[in-house]
Amino acid sequence: MLTATEQRIGEIIEASTTSFTAGTYRFLEAPPFGSLVRANVRDGAIRIYGLVYDIRTSSREPGGRAAVRGGPRYDGQEFYDEEVYREHPDLQEVLQTEFSALVVGFEWGDGRIRHYLPPQPATVHYSVFSCAVSEVLRFTESCDFFRTILYASQIPADDLLAAAVRRAAAARKHDRSYLLCAGRELARLLKDDYDRLRSLLRRIGD
Amino acid sequence: MELAPWNLKSIAMPLDFSLLTGQVRALGASLRASHDQRISRIEWACEQLHAQADRWEHWCQQVREKHARAPWLLACPAEPLDVVRDLPRCPQSYGLAASDGSQIDLDRHGPAECYLVNIGLVLLRYGEDAGARLWTEPRLYYEEKDLVLVDDRGRRYAVEGPLVHATRDVAEGQMLAAIARELPPSLPRLALQDGTLIRWPFHGFDPFVRDHYLKGYLEALDHLQMAGIPLASYISRPRAPEVTGLVRLFADPELERAGSYAEADPCQGLIDQLIFNALLRPGQRGPLFMSMSRINVEHYDAHQIHFFYLNTGRELARVEVPRWVAAEPALVDLVHALIYDQCQRGAGYPVALARAHEQAVVRETDRRTFRLLLESTLLHARLSTAGSLKQASKERTIV
Repeated sequence: MLTATEQRIGEIIEASTTSFTAGTYRFLEAPPFGSLVRANVRDGAIRIYGLVYDIRTSSREPGGRAAVRGGPRYDGQEFYDEEVYREHPDLQEVLQTEFSALVVGFEWGDGRIRHYLPPQPATVHYSVFSCAVSEVLRFTESCDFFRTILYASQIPADDLLAAAVRRAAAARKHDRSYLLCAGRELARLLKDDYDRLRSLLRRIGD
Repeated sequence: MELAPWNLKSIAMPLDFSLLTGQVRALGASLRASHDQRISRIEWACEQLHAQADRWEHWCQQVREKHARAPWLLACPAEPLDVVRDLPRCPQSYGLAASDGSQIDLDRHGPAECYLVNIGLVLLRYGEDAGARLWTEPRLYYEEKDLVLVDDRGRRYAVEGPLVHATRDVAEGQMLAAIARELPPSLPRLALQDGTLIRWPFHGFDPFVRDHYLKGYLEALDHLQMAGIPLASYISRPRAPEVTGLVRLFADPELERAGSYAEADPCQGLIDQLIFNALLRPGQRGPLFMSMSRINVEHYDAHQIHFFYLNTGRELARVEVPRWVAAEPALVDLVHALIYDQCQRGAGYPVALARAHEQAVVRETDRRTFRLLLESTLLHARLSTAGSLKQASKERTIV
């Protein structure tokens, strides 16, 4: 899902220098894994870029857990999947979809993208936007953000990098020269870990 | 009992289980003994209800004559006493409104005199165009008229404790009446509250204070009645002994032995819930009764609260409705079906009430934040934020 225009998709509920988490405005409508999103900083021209590395839907109440709702009811009717939501319209009000993004760079109002960490984190309660194709192209022109992902801890780094590269390639209509360039950069970064490089390249080429 | 030598260094121990275990065992044995007795009392009470089933109007008359003299609570039958109604069909589409509240009481040792009432509100729509709206309406009471009630002779009543609770009860009712009218009239509708509709705590107030709050609450019921939206309340694990009182009246119609029931009470240990648990299968409701609580009889007029017991499949619940609902069999069926449906959707407890409660609840962290907000606002307004010294001493121990 690559769109021509950017869209407001969620609101930041937790932010640090290296990552941010947002709740989506629409239930179950999170940006795809590996997609590029943008958040803003209050009182500044900083636009922070992040890659979505985790998506989850759970209770808004701390400690709350979803219970099994489907199956046969007392009147004999059976409800599954979408029907469960129709039968329990309150669910969409008490559940929340959230996604987390790894900060991979920022822009400081001058149009130049930096592939390192921003001076300030994204601002809590500000919106998160999906990035339009043109912005994805601009951000992925250089491969400097690969390193940030590879060395991030406690996230599925290899899968995230592979997904990000696949999406960057798709934005270029699967241009071979982009894939070659990305492959070379990866080979350089992982010259000491042949197994990891091979598994990464397989995930990108899929 | 042998005491520990006082000169031995004692070790702090929260609970001495070696001393407690024996007592817990004794409790178990005592419960076992009374259990068997209770079973036979329940059977006896069920038989009595059946035997007197057709004479319900006679007993209704008797209860009305004697309730003021009876030393126990009484229920006035409004239907034959052996009525058992199966679950009516639940409409495919229906709308439901619910409210629940909580409060932060006035804190005499806090920085400012005020109290907060937070009402959780729920609108649910099932079937066609299903949807839900959950929200809260907090209101801060700080004006003189909120803090002190003054009667026409100039007597002043400080609003705190039970009166703050009463303010919340009234707000729950009024907001429920307001939001229920947003439900589309083309749908079967229900306004639902948690707990009893009988505001019996008001009965202990001075008549002026009682009338002040009761008027506010009954006005809400007027609005619902005029809008044609049935009202009901759900009481989980009810402890009421009113039908039990009626059974006791069967055995002692002239209240001759009323004073000597401590030993020979045929209904000892019984409550209504135990009796109807034996009579109702899942989905069924028992007969309608009117509560003979004094405040209900004397002040509720057109809204006099009636009730029935309902087996929800998970528990035996008490459902209360005002008289204008009890008088319409179609509305009683609707209340019966919708509450049962709500319990099934909510794993044993009506979803709408659970959601309203989740919205309304004020947690300890919320209380602290509220206090901080209050203090910082006063600080900005250049007013003293000093709480009492007693409060300060509670927050910090000086050693």
